[in-house]
Amino acid sequence: MSGGSRIRVASHIAALPPSGIRRFFDLVSGMEDVVSLGVGEPDFSTPWRISDAAIEALQRGYTSYTSNLGMLPLRSAIADYLRTEFGVEYNPETEILVTNGVSEGLDLAARALLEPGDEVLVAEPCYVSYKATVSLAGGVPVVVETRAEEEFRLRPEALEAALTDRTRAVLLGYPNNPTGAIMTREDLLPVAEFAARHGLAVLSDEIYAHLRYEGQHTCFASLPGMRGQTLLFNGFSKAYAMTGWRLGYVCGPEEIIGAMNRIHSYTALCASILAQFGAIEALHHCQHERDEMIDAYNQRRRFLVNGLRAIGLECFEPLGAFYAFPSIKSTGLDDEEFAEALLEEEKVAVIPGRAFGESGKGHVRCCYATSMSDLRTALERMAAFLDRLPRQV
Amino acid sequence: MPARLSGRAKDLKSSATVRLENLAKEMQRQGLDVLSFALGEPDFSTPPHICEAACKAIAEGKTTYTPAAGIPELREAIARTVERDYGYSCAPEQVVVSNGGKHALMNVWESILEPGDEVIIFAPYWVTYPAQIGLCGAKPRVVRTTIDNDFQPDLDEVRALVSERTAAILINSPSNPSGAVLERSIIEGLAEIAAEADCWIVSDEIYRHILFDGRQHFSPTMVGDEVRERVLLVDGASKAYSMTGWRIGWTVTPLEVAKAINRLQSQQASNPSSISQWAALAGLEGPQDCVRKMCAEFERRRDYIIPALADIPGVKIGKPAGAFYAFPEVSAHLDGHIVHKGKAVTNDDQLTTYLLEDALISTVPGSEFGLDGYIRLSFATSMDKIQEGVRRLRRGLVGG
Repeated sequence: MSGGSRIRVASHIAALPPSGIRRFFDLVSGMEDVVSLGVGEPDFSTPWRISDAAIEALQRGYTSYTSNLGMLPLRSAIADYLRTEFGVEYNPETEILVTNGVSEGLDLAARALLEPGDEVLVAEPCYVSYKATVSLAGGVPVVVETRAEEEFRLRPEALEAALTDRTRAVLLGYPNNPTGAIMTREDLLPVAEFAARHGLAVLSDEIYAHLRYEGQHTCFASLPGMRGQTLLFNGFSKAYAMTGWRLGYVCGPEEIIGAMNRIHSYTALCASILAQFGAIEALHHCQHERDEMIDAYNQRRRFLVNGLRAIGLECFEPLGAFYAFPSIKSTGLDDEEFAEALLEEEKVAVIPGRAFGESGKGHVRCCYATSMSDLRTALERMAAFLDRLPRQV
Repeated sequence: MPARLSGRAKDLKSSATVRLENLAKEMQRQGLDVLSFALGEPDFSTPPHICEAACKAIAEGKTTYTPAAGIPELREAIARTVERDYGYSCAPEQVVVSNGGKHALMNVWESILEPGDEVIIFAPYWVTYPAQIGLCGAKPRVVRTTIDNDFQPDLDEVRALVSERTAAILINSPSNPSGAVLERSIIEGLAEIAAEADCWIVSDEIYRHILFDGRQHFSPTMVGDEVRERVLLVDGASKAYSMTGWRIGWTVTPLEVAKAINRLQSQQASNPSSISQWAALAGLEGPQDCVRKMCAEFERRRDYIIPALADIPGVKIGKPAGAFYAFPEVSAHLDGHIVHKGKAVTNDDQLTTYLLEDALISTVPGSEFGLDGYIRLSFATSMDKIQEGVRRLRRGLVGG
């Protein structure tokens, strides 16, 4: 045969970079006595009511496939929740798709919307897989940087500057991972105007919608004219401490949700039925548990941010998610050196900012979804680490 | 809006299986007594010891992220199962656990296919195959098999389809929808062709536990060490342990591909449900008599439904050796003698609509699987329903 052996991995997969965060987890694993502010995951157990509902479903023999879209009672509960909390209306029959986490939803959206070469404006720093998801679907991620000086808010001028005639969508996630930044309604309005003016789809990852410590979260789809243009992504991992259950959802116009569901029916079929039963319970009965966790995060947030400032790191005020994103530029180290040395010398794991994109350089991500005592130890160790560094002028 | 969809999204049709199942459900909602033979899902609940393992995992707080490729315990157990069932040594690093067999298979295609590539598949095929291959920008090249040669592909036809763009040959034995099991000599022949073409063999073995008449499973990985280097194996917990709703499948591949799939999955989907993983582990490690019992029950149903179908005039059927589908050829009934809503029924698609609306039995047309003139009936349903279903089918086809 000409053309050579086909016993090889497809070139675009061979070129796929491993997630920068994972390289760091590999370093951490195998070390003992590490205090980890690394993984973005609640330290709380899933609320018992949710677990109980899943167990009961099992006992009643619910172990089969569900509808591709997800169980209708779950979709109805999601619709009620979105209406009550954020004032957005979705038809549970046709406009909500339950997915294996937000990751799957984003992947389906990219496949359903992007032609090869289509560009997606990605607000950065951002979740480690946004850009890979766009690329894997044949799209081109175009980075739009946000800055610490502007509290990592996405500015319409920056979007305008990145616009080309191939631009097809904007992908943003607020409250933001890794920075903890939020966008108020006033901040979001010009982004909506930009999207409307250029006919762009908006992929809005709102997985941290509930983890807001000041003001109310604004659903992008609730902005004037945006409902028909927005895909809203959310899920249960963060607010209900359900990371391992892998349950997310996406809401949007019927035609796009329908197309995404067709792809989903051939690539995934449905989300875990057990997780779906748990999620119904979460939405119906677990607001109290959810709010208690959020209060605890808020307390930890203040403690960590004050602590980081007290030991001499500049840290803007994160008002959402469960991350602080201090600048470590004053140490003279770059973020990767800083994180590696801190891990090696003091056994504290933080994630170098560049794992979330070039614009994250000079920062490290510290997740505070961990116990107060761990946070205290981490701060003490970081203080000792900083003390040993030669003073920068 | 941007209601502009991508080409691949527009090209993708929804599966007739799902469409028919929805139609059947709608008729049931209206109070009609529709019997469904459309969906491919065991009618048993998950065995209790597996459910208990899930409850234990929940109680122990095993509800957090796991490594993207799955918990080491499960990957190790799968590797051990491969060693036990297939007789070759397998490292846990060759295993990646995914959200069901479908997702595992999609990961395989994405890891090996580039736009313009071709994959040789055999009709009748599971509708997901051409859909997934198409989503990767590649093309299925189809070799037709029929009931007359017991759904065994002709090796010369396969060879004739090999081209420079052939990336893989797909094997699905036991097969959905035909229930056919490929003969060992055919699998060996396909392995030879793959070696000549220097392409992959993708082997979907999700039905490998459901085999009748004392048959042993034969996988292309068992042809030999060299062949195994080109086999990408897909399996899962759904069919063996009645765990469809849990969404656990996996791939067993050479290390290089496993690494690629792991990378892909870590970026695209993250890990499958932690709870489901612990449950699947209990399935693999626990007593296997649940698998044997289920298989024996399917065999009992097959032994009823096949002669009963063969007894209907104009219905031609072989003896499926595995899976839980009957796939009779019914073209004798597509000559126009059946009239539905004033129109002569002349293809299998019209026939299944007629059978649903008139005989109140839901089946899937063979054309859905790339083979006209057939219908698929799943016998993963109770004996009572099977008996009643066959009666309705007979009445629908020949009256009386």
